[in-house]
Amino acid sequence: MITIEVNGTPKHVDVEPDTPLLWVLRDVVGLTGTKFGCGIAQCGACTVHVDGKPMRSCSVPIGALDGAKVTTIEGLSSDNNHPVQRAWIAEDVPQCGYCQSGQIMATVAFLKDYPNPTDADIDTNITNICRCGTYERLRRAIHRAADMMKA
Amino acid sequence: MHGTRVTSRLTRRNFILTGATAAGGLMIGIGAGPRSAHAATVMAQPWNDDHAYAPNEIDSWIAIDPDDSILIRYQRSEMGQGSMTAVPMMMAEELQCDWSKVRIEYASPNRNIRENKVYGGMFSNGSRSVRASQKLVQQVGASARERLIAAAAARWNVPASECSAAMSVVGHKPSGRTLRYGELAADAAKIKLAKEPAIKTPAQFTFIPRAMPRIDVVHKTDGSAKFGMDAQVPGMVFAAIMACPVPGGKLKSVDDSVLNGAPGVLKVVKLPNAVAVVATDTYWRAKRALSRLQPQWDVGAAGTVDSEQLSSAFRAALSEPMLTARNQGDVDKAFAGATKTFEAVYETPYLSHSPMEPMNATVNLQPDRLDVWVGTQAADEALEAAAKASGLKDEQVYIHNGFVGGGFGRRDANDEVRQAIAIAKAVGRPVKLVWTREEDTRQDKFRPHAVVGFKAAVGADGVPVAWSMRAVTSSIFASVGRKFPAGKVEPQTVAGLADNGYKVPNMRVESLVKNTHLPVWFWRAPGANQHVFAIESFLDEMATAANIDPYQMRRKLLAGRPDWLKVLDTAAEKGDWGKPLPAGSGRGIAICTDTDSLCAQVAEVTVTPSGEVKVNRVTVALDTRYMVNPQTIAEQAEGSVIFGLSAALYGKITIKDGAAVQSNFDTYRMVRLAEAPKIDVHLMPSGGKVWGGAGEPATPPIAAAVANAIFAATGKRIRSLPISDHNLAGSA
Amino acid sequence: MTTISRMAFCGLLVLFAVAGGNARADENTSPPGNPGEYLARAGNCVSCHSIPGGKAFAGGLQMGSPLGNIYSTNITPDPETGIGGYSLADFDRALRQGIAKDGHRLYPAMPYPSYAKLTDADVAALYEFFMKQVPPVHQANRPNEIPSYLDFRWPLAIWSALFTDSGSYVAKSGHDAEWNRGAYLVQGLGHCGACHTPRGFAFQEEALDESSADYLSGALLDAWYAPVLRGDQRTGLGSWSKDDIVSFLKSGHNKGSAVFGSMIDVVNNSTPYMSDADLSAIAVYLKSLPATSSQPAYAYNDATTTALRGGHAAQPGAALYAGVCWACHGYDGKGFAPYTPALAGNPVVLDKDPSSLINLVLNGSNPVVVKGTPDSYRMPQFRLQLADQQIADVVTFIRNGWGNQAPAVTAAQVAELRKTTDPNSDQVIILKMR
Ligand code: FES
Ligand code: FES
Repeated sequence: MITIEVNGTPKHVDVEPDTPLLWVLRDVVGLTGTKFGCGIAQCGACTVHVDGKPMRSCSVPIGALDGAKVTTIEGLSSDNNHPVQRAWIAEDVPQCGYCQSGQIMATVAFLKDYPNPTDADIDTNITNICRCGTYERLRRAIHRAADMMKA
Repeated sequence: MHGTRVTSRLTRRNFILTGATAAGGLMIGIGAGPRSAHAATVMAQPWNDDHAYAPNEIDSWIAIDPDDSILIRYQRSEMGQGSMTAVPMMMAEELQCDWSKVRIEYASPNRNIRENKVYGGMFSNGSRSVRASQKLVQQVGASARERLIAAAAARWNVPASECSAAMSVVGHKPSGRTLRYGELAADAAKIKLAKEPAIKTPAQFTFIPRAMPRIDVVHKTDGSAKFGMDAQVPGMVFAAIMACPVPGGKLKSVDDSVLNGAPGVLKVVKLPNAVAVVATDTYWRAKRALSRLQPQWDVGAAGTVDSEQLSSAFRAALSEPMLTARNQGDVDKAFAGATKTFEAVYETPYLSHSPMEPMNATVNLQPDRLDVWVGTQAADEALEAAAKASGLKDEQVYIHNGFVGGGFGRRDANDEVRQAIAIAKAVGRPVKLVWTREEDTRQDKFRPHAVVGFKAAVGADGVPVAWSMRAVTSSIFASVGRKFPAGKVEPQTVAGLADNGYKVPNMRVESLVKNTHLPVWFWRAPGANQHVFAIESFLDEMATAANIDPYQMRRKLLAGRPDWLKVLDTAAEKGDWGKPLPAGSGRGIAICTDTDSLCAQVAEVTVTPSGEVKVNRVTVALDTRYMVNPQTIAEQAEGSVIFGLSAALYGKITIKDGAAVQSNFDTYRMVRLAEAPKIDVHLMPSGGKVWGGAGEPATPPIAAAVANAIFAATGKRIRSLPISDHNLAGSA
Repeated sequence: MTTISRMAFCGLLVLFAVAGGNARADENTSPPGNPGEYLARAGNCVSCHSIPGGKAFAGGLQMGSPLGNIYSTNITPDPETGIGGYSLADFDRALRQGIAKDGHRLYPAMPYPSYAKLTDADVAALYEFFMKQVPPVHQANRPNEIPSYLDFRWPLAIWSALFTDSGSYVAKSGHDAEWNRGAYLVQGLGHCGACHTPRGFAFQEEALDESSADYLSGALLDAWYAPVLRGDQRTGLGSWSKDDIVSFLKSGHNKGSAVFGSMIDVVNNSTPYMSDADLSAIAVYLKSLPATSSQPAYAYNDATTTALRGGHAAQPGAALYAGVCWACHGYDGKGFAPYTPALAGNPVVLDKDPSSLINLVLNGSNPVVVKGTPDSYRMPQFRLQLADQQIADVVTFIRNGWGNQAPAVTAAQVAELRKTTDPNSDQVIILKMR
């Protein structure tokens, strides 16, 4: 039995310790906002925060997380009002939307470390794949979010 | 039960079981996400619950509640192309309603059956969602508007001609009286019009074209948007599957004894060409258990096929007799008398669609009812497939289409739906089937491999006077299982070639179909996505050989075609064509028609000394003839460029021992943000008889634009894709 | 499915990363159910004497040798193509002296210098197993591709005279039974030295037992660097406890490391099937081998972590790490041990020879299959995504982050390995002697 805190609520999960956090979140806890895209840490669709740090949950074994605090896209804000979410809506970023939970969670963590990101910072740190190719707006939204957070 | 009712009752974001219907089916509701400030809304769970009709329906498409809130049903798919916003906008144009009061949900494929195809075709492909819905949807909106007006006229006892509708209100000018739609809906529902009103011409539009935020965006920023992958059905179990890696192969045997007593493993299901493991608690457990099986496959002769063989077979076929798709003048005579001729062969590989959401389907099969939750591009075809696979009648099948996590043509084969039903039959419980990424890549139905042989003769001025194009590729129709009339040329096999806009006195386009064991499928801009690379690169070869600027060469050949010239000139102008660039950089241009739209692009590329290609900037000029929501059209153009760029730079499915070699994103590379060029899109609808598509036309030109830019930068001509197969080190 | 063909599936997994696992879920073979099979496992005969999809022990595996390609032979009891006609004495001669029944000398790809140490009893048990339990497979041996002008076998007689100590292992006094058992397994059936001991001018192992400091002091083979198995603090087993070694051999993982490269063969096919007693004996023996170099113990330093998190790690490669590698190995370089390996303080990372690291980044890693269950996590390949210089930078960064200290890596080194390990190239590295 492993205990993690998901969006502020303690969850006791009873699965093999090598089970990736992703599937605990989706199938055990029942939060489906975190997406499965590749399962090998290549796409970032599964990005969540563990103790405030971004992690690709498909590659994080639950066995290594006992007692950890996990934040998923559902727990990012009470009503879609996190600056990054608002920037995403303002720029109309998502197309199919499947990658966007991960893009947003990656960006939120990124902006904590890079409050004034350059395009180069964004290029090296936001490595999530978007098959729909929303990169143009995604980049704009990241800059917009950074400004909103400063304002 | 009505969507909004559920919304108002339920506050949690996740699915909640709200009870069973008379039919015994599940009613699953979900709370709506926060409303976007500006516009219409959709529920996070987009599908119609299929339990009862909405109250206050005016017809199968529209319901108006007393509080004026309007439900509009959208009959096709939302896979990111924005049609779930654009199509209802067209209806709102006629309905003269307040867009901010509109709520949208998927129309029910089941109801479409029961009401004899009231929603028409429910598929999204060929960039048809808007253009093929336009007349029907406008008509629906116009009729509803007229019935609301008639209801008001009757209430006031005045002639309808004195009444008009705007912003969800019917007014009577002479008396200044007004009635809200909410007050009229009930009466309007009873009114039958003597004759259907005429629909507006684009000139009469007042609401569209208008840049509107997509209604689904809010749910796609807080994790609430429900994709097929996210369906949760009480009591469901999880299935992982591996089909024979060699298409057409069969399952010979699999020793499942190794899973005897494995915790959480419910069943190993053997299908004719696949083996699936079903687990009770998580998909992960099913996937892990599956990885312990060693299925033996019967792959037959296909097991020896590899890419090299296919490539040489296709190239060899260039000299075989072909079907003629287009023929003007006398090409052979022109060649006979020609002083200067060019020949070149272009080749493009198989590609996988690789939508971000791997294929999946969740089914609840009961004796008299089948519910399927899936993200599909063709809910109506999914229904037929599901009925066939389950043995139930069409009207007993309920398809709950989710937001589609990327389609690009892949999500209308419904193979995942058939698999899920077969598994559900075997376990007798609701099943969620999910493919691994590896399975999604290997079991894709690929973009066809194609080879094009060109021969052209040019006059003294270097401009082509005769042009022969011979294309060898596989038949998508054959894969789909639709018999294509013998002797007729299948459009995709020459798309991008036969429809070129160039005025060359002698031109012949021929097609030869070579089918293999590999299934091929529609892939964003079928045909054009490979042939435009070929024809637009070859034209560049002739231009540079004649020392004619590639842009000017195209202008010469497009003389007298103002719409083509407009997109070409716009791309060239906005793309700074001709402006100086540093050494190692270059610009390339390309143009095409696809889905009745026109698209030209200029790509600006830098090739590093070590041979890496960096696409700095892409300028897109796009003529979709008409527009509903320019914002979503621009988004589609941006996405199409990136989609085409991944294919141009890296995309290749290699075949070894009959199977796809690539499996996940480490072996099937995608463009990421760091490689994404700056993209400017310029929209220039030229009107005319037909509406053009928006989802595809910006995909085909990018490969040629980039390859031509690489030539400009390095003098190296790329005649096969992907570009990453070519060593450009030291060429810049 | 018989035990044997299940073993073959391991071989298949070993040599190619196909999904799925050895369909065997048996309990730990302790005590050995069948002594001969147990020994065959311990010797990992199947890895070299089978090919993917082929029948177990039917041979045919291509191995590069300095003289040219050679192919492993059919050791099933088939009378014509296998060793069906072998008497125990014939079998013994081949196994311990490298002389086939017809008298020709075997190339020392067959580790008979190690097998020479087997006891008569174990040789007999192996003979029993191969003759009675291995199903005969009629499959002719593939001729070696050694140019005839080089294919004189007589020098091999001298070779083996020079480089093979004759006679079974003799227990060393002054060491307890467990140590001696470990020595016997490591030097004999385990033939660990075949990969982990540097080879000399004639491709012979520089040493065959602990009497020399060269023994198990690390060697480069198959584009993988087989690390030091001696007490060296940073690059050897100095930082590993006996339990770390046992858990590594049993599961392919331990507190900070995960198996990769050619060693995956061994874990997939051999060590997890050995008894806990034998594994612990191996650990005891290895732990007794003194360091060959004096290295200060590794000490973790979290400056790198802070720099990465704060986005001000300036070294080339740091940005790449933060964009790509962090997902599995963490900003703190600790990975999610034991599921995914740590980079901080990992002997493989610290070794002077970076081949294994470069190879892993270029080509990823095949799945470890322990008792039929493939690992949950795998290292993706980056051959398509990263250029030589990028890989050189990120590997150099890893080798010097979190208190690690190891020489920088050049783009040229990466380019070389990219060539020799390119699955699409025809002169891709193939299994050498092991
Ligand atoms: S699903 Fe985790 S990175 Fe792709
Ligand atoms: S929005 Fe579709 S994958 Fe990113």
